[in-house]
Amino acid sequence: MPQQVPRLAVLFAVLVVGFVVARESLVPDTFGDVGHYRAAAVTSIAAREKSYAGHRECADCHDEIAEQRLASHHSGVACEVCHGPGAAHSEYPDEVELPAPRERGFCPLCHRYDPSRPTGFPQIEPVAHNPLEPCMSCHDPHAPEPPEVPEECGACHGQISRLKTVSHHVTLDCTTCHATEEQHKITPRLVRPGKPVDRGFCGTCHDEDADSQADIPRIDLATHGEDYQCWQCHYPHYPETG
Amino acid sequence: MQGYIYPNEFELHWGLLVVLYPYITGLVAGAFILASLERVFNVKEVQPTYRLALLTALAFLLVAPLPLLAHLGHPLRSYEIFLTPNRKSAMAMFGFVYAWYLTVVLLLEIWFEYRKDLVLWARSERGPKKWLHYALTLGATDLSEEALRFDDNAGRWITIIGIPSAFLLHGYVGFIFGSVKANPWWSSVLMPVVFLFSAIVSGIALVLFIYVAASLFRSKPVDMRCADKLAAFLFYAMIVDFSLEMLDFIHRLYESEESIEILSQLIQGPLFISLIVLQVVLGTLVPLIALGVVSPALSDRGVSRTPAELRRLIYLACATLVQIGIFSIRWNVVLGGQLFSKSLRGLTVYKPLLFGTEGLLMASVLLFLPLVILWLLVKVLPPWLDAEATE
Ligand code: HEC
Ligand code: HEC
Ligand code: HEC
Ligand code: HEC
Ligand code: HEC
Ligand code: HEC
Ligand code: HEC
Ligand code: HEC
Repeated sequence: MPQQVPRLAVLFAVLVVGFVVARESLVPDTFGDVGHYRAAAVTSIAAREKSYAGHRECADCHDEIAEQRLASHHSGVACEVCHGPGAAHSEYPDEVELPAPRERGFCPLCHRYDPSRPTGFPQIEPVAHNPLEPCMSCHDPHAPEPPEVPEECGACHGQISRLKTVSHHVTLDCTTCHATEEQHKITPRLVRPGKPVDRGFCGTCHDEDADSQADIPRIDLATHGEDYQCWQCHYPHYPETG
Repeated sequence: MQGYIYPNEFELHWGLLVVLYPYITGLVAGAFILASLERVFNVKEVQPTYRLALLTALAFLLVAPLPLLAHLGHPLRSYEIFLTPNRKSAMAMFGFVYAWYLTVVLLLEIWFEYRKDLVLWARSERGPKKWLHYALTLGATDLSEEALRFDDNAGRWITIIGIPSAFLLHGYVGFIFGSVKANPWWSSVLMPVVFLFSAIVSGIALVLFIYVAASLFRSKPVDMRCADKLAAFLFYAMIVDFSLEMLDFIHRLYESEESIEILSQLIQGPLFISLIVLQVVLGTLVPLIALGVVSPALSDRGVSRTPAELRRLIYLACATLVQIGIFSIRWNVVLGGQLFSKSLRGLTVYKPLLFGTEGLLMASVLLFLPLVILWLLVKVLPPWLDAEATE
């Protein structure tokens, strides 16, 4: 046998044995019993000390706040989201204090304007929205409301109204196109404003024969844009051409 | 950003480092396949680059997993992929392909190739170098006719196993992308094949570049027969690679699925520079024309005769352009596939960072590192013909 073979064989044997030993000693015992993970992880995680109590626990002692929150816009935001894990506090309320997030930076974690949040989610621009004052001086964190009914649609539809002010439609009020009841500003999801439904609506200003301001650009309603709705091509809050 | 993209598409999950990874493995596979072809088909002219190609493959192979480690961010856990492999995951199985390729193919082939020289060097040297070379022989110092014949045979067998292994190594990288059903830019059975041929192109260009540049640095004459032959190989490989890519392209155009609209916007928009300008024009057409004219690929002495000094420089320039082109291919595949929305209605942008584990600095370090390793390897295992020991 050539000299090379036994030498390489030893080398590879060391590698293979090393691998087998490493596998034997490093792979946890219960690995793979259930799935591609260590089955005992479930019990060892379950055995860890609890740090969250759950909002029902808090209600035992802070019943007023708990009721208040459940009836408010924050009904979906649990106590410990804001106050941090409270299991220890629930057990020894006098020894363990829970912090309250009073600084202005906290609320914008959820309420800062972010285009990926759903439309209608209450959002503000923290730099512009009543700067320097803590949020709590105007909004109760356990029952948040705008302190007064906002006048401007832009208070809640900031992006649309900002866009409109730099568009050709700047002179048009929102209510020209959206018939809006006052109640919409108080319970926006229950009372919805109207929206234009057909081409004829835009035609009231833009049709060739429409009875409107002379400087409004005209189109032939019968042929322009075929059968599509106008807003499939022109964004009504920022109409562009071409 | 333009049009409509989903919120979770705003940030690209696979950045510059994931571009680097297929680029580097491509160089490994390419350099190795070049070496193998030289050996299997016994091409005499390119003999001077056989060992160089093997060492290049090794240097780049050692660095190949590093971009992934940096990208995943848990290098200390990386060994677990070997201990508890998920057999249904192509990515997990790759660990074994890598280990196989490194130990069984590349290191063994280099060992058999160098064993005789190692023994002779160990005999004639003194000091630490002697011991290093002796250790590398593993004590197998038999230089009899029979033992040397065994080296040669073993090397040939490993080469024959090595070619499919190298195909697997890089085909796998294409496979990872090609099998993403939901992504119209990636999903294509041609992907592994296209990846392979672009790997071969990049590997040949790299070896050509290193060979010519290293000869100039060492102020040794460049063996022009060798450089010419490599350049001709490069030309042929590029023709095949380019045809495959065109085939893929035409196939997509002809199929004209609903994604074609956004893909054409992608090509005309965010990928215009890297795809049309860098990949196709500078990285493929310019070097193809230049090589076609000066290299002996089309006619024995080249379509137009050029003095050796000029030809050398043209080869260096072509090899550089090809590298830029292949890097752009990886860029276009990896990033391009994430630049358009799954809604097929919007495009986003990629801005590489400078610092951080995924930044430009990290990427340049990882690109430079294989060259440092190669330099060290060349110190220990000189691949030049003039360094080969004679009895
Ligand atoms: C066993 C009764 C009990 C439970 C359960 C309990 N608390 Fe309290 N909590 C108290 C008492 C008593 C105080 C007043 C202690 C003091 O003033 O030092 C208090 C004070 C607080 C404070 C005020 C700290 C401050 O800065 O003024 C917060 C916040 C608070 N609790 C949150 C919670 C939350 C959240 C939970 C649920 C995870 C919870 N508590 C559960 C009894 C309880
Ligand atoms: C949106 C975040 C938020 C949620 C949810 C929330 N809190 Fe608070 N909580 C605060 C802030 C902020 C303060 C400080 C108020 C202040 O200083 O005026 C506070 C203060 C308190 C206090 C101190 C007494 C007071 O009224 O000033 C208690 C007790 C308390 N919270 C309990 C609760 C309990 C119980 C719940 C769940 C039912 C809860 N909180 C849910 C933000 C929150
Ligand atoms: C964990 C996320 C979260 C945090 C933190 C949070 N909120 Fe809210 N907030 C919500 C949700 C969810 C709603 C209900 C949205 C809805 O009605 O669709 C809401 C509603 C509101 C509203 C009601 C707006 C309206 O439509 O009338 C106000 C005001 C408000 N929050 C203020 C605050 C203040 C002040 C803080 C800081 C103490 C705060 N929020 C912290 C999630 C959060
Ligand atoms: C000076 C009082 C004041 C302060 C301080 C204040 N707000 Fe408001 N907030 C208002 C008023 C008034 C409105 C009603 C809309 C408007 O006019 O802008 C409102 C509206 C809101 C809304 C509802 C917007 C919507 O779309 O429904 C949210 C959310 C909100 N504020 C969050 C905050 C947060 C978070 C802070 C702290 C960073 C804060 N506010 C500080 C007065 C205040
Ligand atoms: C207190 C905040 C608030 C104010 C003020 C407000 N809106 Fe809204 N608006 C909302 C919310 C929340 C929605 C619901 C969004 C959703 O559910 O998708 C909404 C929805 C709408 C819609 C879409 C309805 C639909 O069916 O899609 C229109 C149009 C609209 N508002 C117009 C207006 C106009 C015009 C004004 C001013 C006269 C106005 N809103 C003032 C909060 C407000
Ligand atoms: C020229 C007429 C016009 C004006 C002025 C106008 N809108 Fe609209 N708006 C529309 C039309 C048309 C739609 C329906 C678009 C659709 O269905 O795609 C719409 C849709 C909406 C929606 C729901 C869809 C969305 O984009 O979120 C909201 C909210 C809204 N408008 C708010 C406003 C507010 C606030 C203003 C004033 C700042 C305003 N609009 C001014 C025509 C108008
Ligand atoms: C109350 C009248 C009125 C209504 C209703 C109206 N517009 Fe306009 N529109 C205008 C005015 C005023 C201008 C601005 C003319 C100017 O720039 O001088 C305008 C401009 C335009 C322009 C041209 C922008 C440009 O680049 O010149 C477009 C497009 C447009 N509107 C589309 C629409 C659509 C779509 C609707 C229906 C959703 C609509 N408009 C409804 C009054 C109206
Ligand atoms: C299929 C897409 C499409 C539809 C649907 C569409 N438009 Fe247009 N519109 C365009 C384009 C493109 C232009 C710019 C080129 C042109 O002048 O034809 C334009 C231009 C305009 C202009 C500016 C004309 C000028 O002289 O500056 C107005 C006003 C306008 N459209 C209103 C409307 C109204 C109102 C509707 C609905 C009845 C509508 N458009 C439907 C595509 C469309």
